[in-house]
Amino acid sequence: MVNTSVKIGKLTLRNPVMTGSGTFGFGSEMSEALDLNALGACVVKSTSREPRLGNPTPRIVETSSGILNAIGLQNGGIDNFINEKLPFLREYDVPIIVNLVGYEVADYVYLAERLTEAGGVHALEINISCPNVKHGCDFAVDPKLTFELITALRKATDLTLITKLSPNVTDVVSVGRAAADAGSDALSLINTLLGTAIDIRKRKFRLANVTGGLSGPAIKPVALRMVWQVHQALPNIPLVGMGGIVTAHDAIEFLLAGATAIAVGTATFINPTAAIDVAAGIEKFLEEQGIEDVNELIGAVTR
Amino acid sequence: MPVSAQQYLVPVISNDEIIADHRVLTCYAPEVAALARPGHFLNVSVGDGYDPFLRKPFSIYTVNRERGEISMLFSIVGATTRGMAKKRAGDEIDLVGPLGGKIFQPDTREGATHVMVGGGYGVPPLVFLSKELLSAAASTNIEFIIGARHKDLLLCEAELAEAGVTARMTTEDGSHGMRGRVTDALRVVLAELGASPVTVYCCGPTPMMHAVSDLCLEVDVPCQLSVEVGMPCGMGVCMACVVDLADGRRVRCCTDGPVFAAGEVKW
Repeated sequence: MVNTSVKIGKLTLRNPVMTGSGTFGFGSEMSEALDLNALGACVVKSTSREPRLGNPTPRIVETSSGILNAIGLQNGGIDNFINEKLPFLREYDVPIIVNLVGYEVADYVYLAERLTEAGGVHALEINISCPNVKHGCDFAVDPKLTFELITALRKATDLTLITKLSPNVTDVVSVGRAAADAGSDALSLINTLLGTAIDIRKRKFRLANVTGGLSGPAIKPVALRMVWQVHQALPNIPLVGMGGIVTAHDAIEFLLAGATAIAVGTATFINPTAAIDVAAGIEKFLEEQGIEDVNELIGAVTR
Repeated sequence: MPVSAQQYLVPVISNDEIIADHRVLTCYAPEVAALARPGHFLNVSVGDGYDPFLRKPFSIYTVNRERGEISMLFSIVGATTRGMAKKRAGDEIDLVGPLGGKIFQPDTREGATHVMVGGGYGVPPLVFLSKELLSAAASTNIEFIIGARHKDLLLCEAELAEAGVTARMTTEDGSHGMRGRVTDALRVVLAELGASPVTVYCCGPTPMMHAVSDLCLEVDVPCQLSVEVGMPCGMGVCMACVVDLADGRRVRCCTDGPVFAAGEVKW
């Protein structure tokens, strides 16, 4: 019997596998396909203060080994989440992590207070880095703004805070350090990489939003490098690694690079059970390798 | 209705060309066959590695629940359909489904006539619907209108005849059946039916569905449209396949549809 459980802030996950925000709906959509209780944690779609309609279509286009998305954070707003989505999630014995998005510090604080009060939410993932909305990257590219935001959130809630970092920055470590210094319990990385694609016959951009966030196996090497970099610089803060994870092999690479947990995102679109398949694959690997505790893998890569 | 986002790797039974670049692929998928209803769709992958990366949605053409078989009628247009065209009996195909939230809701009014209006690969799900209605009650009144640009692109006429349905064909160039568009034939059919209860079920290219929808609203006949937009996940989680509704809501085609009422959709 191997130990697969890991700790992220105050949370104990039964295995290191989370879902990627925006790829798993609000859990209910996927609950027929897989047992949510078999996940390490369930991260639901970004929730904002007011409902958002998101961007025009096309919102997702296929690229080499990946997709570009420009959904634009469509969601029903916090009231809808608390009243319509959360009761379903409370029935499960799995940590529920809500991804928060706002325009300014006050929005994030409001959301954190509402979700803390609501009960049934175990951690907040702070989306400071959505590339598809105006001002979506303001916090993520500036360590000072990140520090101010996370400081305010730390005062507003005792829930575990996970700050989601953008790869679209010059120095990911400095933003991660700012979040850690401000009291973020963990960091998740990476969000999508800003990109675009063009229809050469129509001479038009393929996304209505022109640019979008690249995800899928195409970005895995970049994500893995960034996880390793941040872990080297900030070895004491737990990382949730993500970016192109499809298989247990991919996930184990992230653990070795320094991630304590990982998220399966885009892969769910192709294989509805991808997240629990990855969890089972990690366990199988531990057994095969005679490794008693998954924590032994974390950051264990050597040159 | 919850979606059934179950993944199956199932054997192909046959894969036959019916007209140029159009094929019918039949596979053995008893779980899918048991659940599939007209309006549902399947999300297919023939991906070798990560190319093509996403699944693609296909409507269901025939279902044989006794034999556990389902089929899809597809035209060869891209990487997925090229991959599907290469499948031979005994090969496996990877599908997720049946997917779809709101599907066709047959008119249950006494003596209702069900008018199917299909174009291109919008025809197969309406063939499935017609056969389901006929197997529930052999006396069901069905009118079927099929449109295409040219006679070589008309689908399913013989299959419908076998099921006892005489389809009215329209071609834009007059090469077969009535010259014109499906809406021209629909006006004739609706005039013939007069004041009796009628529901129109439509699936085809967007401009065609828009025109059929407008006509049905104009003459006040209920109309159900199976809307097609790109569906990267098909399970309601990626939020890419949104459709704007007349009431201001922006909903997912895959799980809030794909069947919408005329008047519901903002074109």
